[in-house]
Amino acid sequence: MSSDLAALAVVLETAFARGVDAPLPDAAFDELALRVFAHQFDTCATYRRFCEGRNVRPETVGGWEDVPAVPARAFRHVELLSGPGPVDATFLTSGTTAGGGVRGRHAVPRISLYRASLRPNFRAHLLPEGEPLPLVSFVPCPEVAPESSLSAMVGDVSAAFCDRTWWLADPRSGTDANSFLEAAHKVAEDGRAALVVGTAFAFVHLLDALARAGRRTRLPEGTRVMETGGFKGRSRSVSREDLYAGIRERLGVPTERVVNEYGMTELLSQLYEPVLREGPGSRGRHVPPPWLHVRALDPATLEPVPEGRPGLLAFFDLANAGSVAHVLTEDIGSVAHDGVRLQGRAPGAEPRGCSMAMEELMSVADGEA
Amino acid sequence: MNGVFDAWALPAGIDPPRGGDVALPAGGARLRVAAFDAAWVRWLARTLRAASAELRSLPVGAVAASLGRVGARFLDEEDPIRTRALELMPAESGLSPAMASAVLDGMAADWTEERLVELLRTDLGDPTVLDRFVDIGRGSVRALGPELCVQVVSGSVPGVGATALVRSLLVKAPTLLKPGRGDVVLPVLMARALREEDPFLANAVGVVYWRGGQAELEDAALERADAVIAYGGDEVVRGLRERAPVTARFVGYHHRVSVGVVGREALTPDTLHRTASEVAGAAAFFDQRGCVSPQVVYTEEGGAVAPSVFARELAVAFGALEKLLPGGRLQSAEAATLHQVRGSAELLAASGSGVEVHHGGAASWTVVFDPTRTLTAGCVGRVVRVVPVADVLGVAGLLAPVGTHLQTAGVAGCAGRLEALAESLASVGVCRVTPFGGVPFPPPWWHHDGQGPLRALVRWTDVEG
Repeated sequence: MSSDLAALAVVLETAFARGVDAPLPDAAFDELALRVFAHQFDTCATYRRFCEGRNVRPETVGGWEDVPAVPARAFRHVELLSGPGPVDATFLTSGTTAGGGVRGRHAVPRISLYRASLRPNFRAHLLPEGEPLPLVSFVPCPEVAPESSLSAMVGDVSAAFCDRTWWLADPRSGTDANSFLEAAHKVAEDGRAALVVGTAFAFVHLLDALARAGRRTRLPEGTRVMETGGFKGRSRSVSREDLYAGIRERLGVPTERVVNEYGMTELLSQLYEPVLREGPGSRGRHVPPPWLHVRALDPATLEPVPEGRPGLLAFFDLANAGSVAHVLTEDIGSVAHDGVRLQGRAPGAEPRGCSMAMEELMSVADGEA
Repeated sequence: MNGVFDAWALPAGIDPPRGGDVALPAGGARLRVAAFDAAWVRWLARTLRAASAELRSLPVGAVAASLGRVGARFLDEEDPIRTRALELMPAESGLSPAMASAVLDGMAADWTEERLVELLRTDLGDPTVLDRFVDIGRGSVRALGPELCVQVVSGSVPGVGATALVRSLLVKAPTLLKPGRGDVVLPVLMARALREEDPFLANAVGVVYWRGGQAELEDAALERADAVIAYGGDEVVRGLRERAPVTARFVGYHHRVSVGVVGREALTPDTLHRTASEVAGAAAFFDQRGCVSPQVVYTEEGGAVAPSVFARELAVAFGALEKLLPGGRLQSAEAATLHQVRGSAELLAASGSGVEVHHGGAASWTVVFDPTRTLTAGCVGRVVRVVPVADVLGVAGLLAPVGTHLQTAGVAGCAGRLEALAESLASVGVCRVTPFGGVPFPPPWWHHDGQGPLRALVRWTDVEG
């Protein structure tokens, strides 16, 4: 019986613990993927009926590609839990306008599996020179934002790898230049390289505040920055080049020490640009850990596109064993043996037409009320 | 699409700036876009405005006759203008050739002289108020069109730009029209046809396409405008409203949503098929991109046929329509969203929520029976949600939150209750109630988004005496 999440999780956690450089051959990945699928088919009745509606059962599946993918938006509408309650955590998506403001819910029955995926991957991409080190976070701490998967991630990074943490994001007031400069001063006094994390939007905010105050600082040599997320739904967007130039100029962190992370609430594993491991030539390419497989699919037919050609990204994440592992996104990218090149949301994502989805308008109306 | 199509039409003797042309691929089509700059656009606006006095001296009847001759050419199977339009429209708009042809027929039907005169009469009473003071007993009145009308049009539905051009010319306004991507061909062809039919009138028209979001070009056009008409999303309309001269009259056709209401009288074994066909036709037209296109069909319970059965019949009707008026090509973002919408609905169905999903596979049509009222449809191809309601008179209450964006309600099977239904829908913001068959093409006398389209353009002068 494969429906025991605890037993399955132990197998997966052991595999993840071998790290991102330990090879996981396709056959071994498939074997784990099919065990995960069988577990999800057995324990999540909604997903099972969805698969049966497509005439797919565990015994008809040859490889992970055959497992039915759920659209990322489905997390807004149905509970996709494959395992016993109560869950350790529930992460919520940010609730975009396009979804009528409805937030997706990702139930996490075993947080240990999430951490087992997060830590070796993070360490490989952000801490190649080792730890512990001080952390400056522009992401709210988990106590303030318990529903945010990003906060959970930074919280765990803080607990596992950092001996001192400055939580600088106040969810109400945002980040002010002074509290950052104070933290930067203490980091500089200490003289050790630091880890700085935040969303792209938070960094833009900080850089604006520093520019207004006419201030800049120089974080100790070896400091690295992890930035994540885009500008979706924000009034101001800035090119990545300008953002990195600002980080170099105002924070004193060179561009080759800035790592972009690509993740989403619906996936418990993350992808990183391997710039600290492979050098600045790897900019623009994101690498998944061995337990996360990705394909690019033709947007019209959902058939796989040839290597290197852009398509809709679909992920199979073994760390999602407690929910649904195969997720179809709305993001466009190309996939090659060395990673994923993201192109952001599908082009023309602005709805064509003077009509607008009713639910989007309802969310606007709610927001204005 | 054959060759390259110049995305402009200008008064005689005016050429677009040389050099720097950009060819935009448009689904296999190539659109040549000139490198306009702000100074050139400003100069064009001044030139057009200078044509106002002469344009005002033309009798309105003659203007309507010239425009009517142009309109008739788009309906004439033998006319090269129509041939060219049909050649270019599918590539430019993404509509299937059959749908493009049906759209052109419906749009151009309103551009004939007879329809234009009807529009003038409905909106202005005696159309000659555009020529001279007309006695109204207690005094006399005169209506004057703007000296320069600047129109910025979205590209979602082909024909909207050409209709906008016809309206401003009817009130004798020199017009600078910036069409939207997806609807460049028809206004450009219309202006070219006008040059052949009435060169004098054509000299008051400039149709110039540039890529959206170039605020400095828009500002240059807006500077001397005394009427600004904007079609598009709320953000686009808001931006233009803020930048239009304070003295200019502004008409904004912003985001709109439309719905259907099916009462139980239309849900009998005898009427089911016809009702479903009409609803499918209304939703499928323009591939549902029109502001009039219903997205949600509120369907009454308690009839001989249950709403879920109606949803199934609607799916059958969409399937049949796919052969007659095939759906067009989706952009990759639209295709991506469609997978999300369908997959989410399928998972909701699998969760025992009562949701049912029917779709056309490679064809975009999708019918979701949604008693949960929680799904998002998205504007991607032909996607309709059938939402059951206990009583059609309760629909207005559900729509109240989007009242300011409501447009058309297509109705069926509400005969005895139509007045009460219309009253309730009107009170929350619906501008138009019509049988489903009439949904795609409003009559010439309609109040577009709640007001007469010509009245919205003119200024009145009264002589009291």
